Amino acid sequence: MNQTHKPHPTPKQYVQIAVILGILTAIEVVLYYTESTVGVFTDPLLMILAVSKFVIVVGWFMHLRFENSLVNRFFAGGMILALFLFAIVMLERASAIFFFS
Amino acid sequence: MGDHGYPHEPTGVETRKLGMWVFLSTEILFFGTLITTYLIFKGRSFDGIKLEEVYDIPFTSVSSFVLLMSSLTMVLAHHAIEKSDQERTSIWLLATALLGAVFLAGQIYEFTEFYHKGFTLTVNIYGSTFYVLTGFHGAHVFIGVILLIILWGVGQRQNGLSLDGGMNLEFIALYWHFVDIVWIVLFTVVYLI
Amino acid sequence: MSEDIKEKRFLTIFKRPSSTEGIWSWITTVDHKKIGIMYGYAAFFFLLLGGLEALILRIQLAKPDNDFLSAAEYNAMFTMHGTTMVFLVIMPLSAAFFNYLLPLQIGARDVAFPRLNALSYWLWIFGGLFLYSTFIFGSAGAPQGGYLAEEIGWLGNAPNGGWFGYQPNASFKYSPGTAMDYWALGLQILGVSSLVSAFNFITTILNMRAKGMRLMRMPVFTWMTFAVAFLLAFSLPIIAIALFLVTFDRQFGTTFFLTEGGGDPVLWQHLFWLFGHPEVYILILPAFGMVSEILPTFSKKPLFGYAAIVFAGFGIAFIGFGVWAHHMFASAISPVAQAGFGLSTMVIAVPTGVKIFNWLGTIWGGKLNLKTPMLFALGFIAMFVIGGLSGVTHSIVPADTQQTDTYYIVAHFHYVLFGGAMFGIFAGLYYWFPKVWGKMYNEKLGQLHFWLMMIGFNLTFGPMHWLGLKGQIRRTWVYAEETNLGFWNMVVTIGVFVIAVSIIIFMINWIYSKRKGPEAPMDPWDARTIEWTIPSPTPVWNFSTPPEIENLDDFWHRKYDEDEEGRPVRKDMANQLLIDLESDGLNPKEHIELPNPSYFPFILASGLPFLGYAIIYRSLALAGLGLLLLLIGGFGWALEPIEEEEIGDVEDG
Repeated sequence: MNQTHKPHPTPKQYVQIAVILGILTAIEVVLYYTESTVGVFTDPLLMILAVSKFVIVVGWFMHLRFENSLVNRFFAGGMILALFLFAIVMLERASAIFFFS
Repeated sequence: MGDHGYPHEPTGVETRKLGMWVFLSTEILFFGTLITTYLIFKGRSFDGIKLEEVYDIPFTSVSSFVLLMSSLTMVLAHHAIEKSDQERTSIWLLATALLGAVFLAGQIYEFTEFYHKGFTLTVNIYGSTFYVLTGFHGAHVFIGVILLIILWGVGQRQNGLSLDGGMNLEFIALYWHFVDIVWIVLFTVVYLI
Repeated sequence: MSEDIKEKRFLTIFKRPSSTEGIWSWITTVDHKKIGIMYGYAAFFFLLLGGLEALILRIQLAKPDNDFLSAAEYNAMFTMHGTTMVFLVIMPLSAAFFNYLLPLQIGARDVAFPRLNALSYWLWIFGGLFLYSTFIFGSAGAPQGGYLAEEIGWLGNAPNGGWFGYQPNASFKYSPGTAMDYWALGLQILGVSSLVSAFNFITTILNMRAKGMRLMRMPVFTWMTFAVAFLLAFSLPIIAIALFLVTFDRQFGTTFFLTEGGGDPVLWQHLFWLFGHPEVYILILPAFGMVSEILPTFSKKPLFGYAAIVFAGFGIAFIGFGVWAHHMFASAISPVAQAGFGLSTMVIAVPTGVKIFNWLGTIWGGKLNLKTPMLFALGFIAMFVIGGLSGVTHSIVPADTQQTDTYYIVAHFHYVLFGGAMFGIFAGLYYWFPKVWGKMYNEKLGQLHFWLMMIGFNLTFGPMHWLGLKGQIRRTWVYAEETNLGFWNMVVTIGVFVIAVSIIIFMINWIYSKRKGPEAPMDPWDARTIEWTIPSPTPVWNFSTPPEIENLDDFWHRKYDEDEEGRPVRKDMANQLLIDLESDGLNPKEHIELPNPSYFPFILASGLPFLGYAIIYRSLALAGLGLLLLLIGGFGWALEPIEEEEIGDVEDG
């Protein structure tokens, strides 16, 4: 059952990570309220924040950063495939509206 | 399987853990389809009530924070079992389940409010896509809470989780974190953007 | 780690079942071989049903303006024929092979998750039975204001919206009644079955290989199983959501795919074909794998370009995710998409072509042994090439706009799915028959089956090419006398009857040979891969000692050396090797542990059809029952003890 035991973060580090996540969430909420000032940057910033939180949870809490690369590739593969396929579907529907309406 | 002569896991990843990662990679497609459906319709204009008119961002933010923290307690439970600290494992497992339940309660409260304000499943496409997307996520959280409680229960019965139970915890932890990251995306895409 | 925590006694409420004989041994089995056999027989039963549906369709179309079937009945027949053949015949027949062979080809005892494997089977059979129960319980109403508001006979009370369920035709407005709900929910259950299998096979191939069985030493069939598992894993979630959305539309008043509510019918097509196209590669890749094993064995030559075939297989799988909208060229998708998908569809012909050339290269210069498996394998190549060529013509968008929804398309996919996948499966059924049953099939009957099927198949689907180009439309229950299509339609119908006769011959051969056929030796074909190194029929423990692999085609290299010109030279000790392998295989010396049987996969699986009925009939009681079964199944599974069945004495074998 014991694989090569990769280094685990300590509980203290986990709490620090959680604090960072909390701060990122707080920034997201602030951005929502200051949309009029931040303007067109709001959405991209929100997406960056969401992606950062995503990566932090996957990398540290789900331990993917310390795992075997095989498992990393599965997850990355699924993500890339999903992004690719759904981007095409959304683009197609958007362009169809453009061409046919 | 306990067979001698058979190499143990040539990939170096424990078999059940590998299975769980494969499963989670496919769940990405599952939620991806739901999110895509949501986004395709979001851009279009139609009559009727919109989510922006009924939601309560502060409330949902707190909910989101609760779910995030449940990931922390989950990972602390995992850490505890690695250190064979059965008592702590038990506490953190229960804490995670509790936080998950609080999140669900928040969702139920929210949705009830939305319904009262007229934002229902069938009022328009916006309602349909919203409820199906967040509903599926909620169902996943619910299943996760059940799994956590069962695991906690097994630990109580046996006076601790065995070695094998330790792998089960890791297994469920991965599922739980996944449910959390889906919400991270959902909160941004559905509520904030 | 932690101190030893023993599992408490009262958790072991259910003792693991232990029967080895009789029906309970089949219901509780987790043995991949038994599961494979169950898949095979059940799938064959559905083949007969699907074939009957085809026969009925063809009787209707044998002459113009026929009235053997009403339009409503015709719709139900072609929908069920397609749905049955895809989900209840080819997929499970392939599953039968994956289940039986995969552990044997990699030298394992069983798959990674044996109970999950059993779950896949029971989910599948319950899903299939649920789908077919529509004939008993279901109803297909006539759409309001539609001209088909005639009496819908018994045959018409089945899903009638096509196997692809296009919206809004298959929506509640135009397909009232419960039939299309049976379709959506039935497919949902079947999807879960395959998805679960996919995880199992991926994990098995990665983690359960015997010593020395490196990835690039695995048989091609194993590689194709791997590719199929990825296709299943990543495409099924998409259709699962699509089916949920359409069920919500039909049952709960949403309008995801209905324009009245702002929905988008083309979205359904996208989601369906995002799954549907990888699905067709799921259907063909197993046959590719089987043929890649059979050709080398019967040509006494190694597979030409093993690495290329493996990579081409994955190339097809990968690109297969990027061509789905070629099913939608005539469906109001943007011209940009049409161009893009036309291109990607042309590209996918490349790795397919690579495989075909490699197969030809395998046969070239070989010493061909034209036994039945080889005949079907060769027939496969020929028929698949024809189907592939017509397929490439569809990739040209303007041409496809004429071809689409005509019999030209029907010709294409039957050439690749019947002439391709089914022929490949028949090749596999004959090839591995001796290994599974320990008996040899009758070669003369096998040859008769092949030739009759070849003739019947081409009589049936050949004329469809020009019928389509002359304008015969798909999915339409009559064609007028004036179209002058009657002659070739009659030929097609006669062809179907010839196919039916050939299948009867196959069945006679199978049943007779299994009982009274001559005993087959361990290695009747002088084969190359390690499943042939164990006794026939396969012992329940598979390998008595875990094999150690040193080469690709390991078994071959243990029997044969190569001379200076690379020709195989049989080793002197080869015969003795076979004798030793057989006797060792029957007499395991070590203690062997096999995974224990279990009731719970069966119980868990049985819950889903009840949930399906609950949704259709809005019954809380049925929902409760379904959930209860799921909970009992789930809890029992999680809590049952992991005792392992031990093979001490050989006599039990």
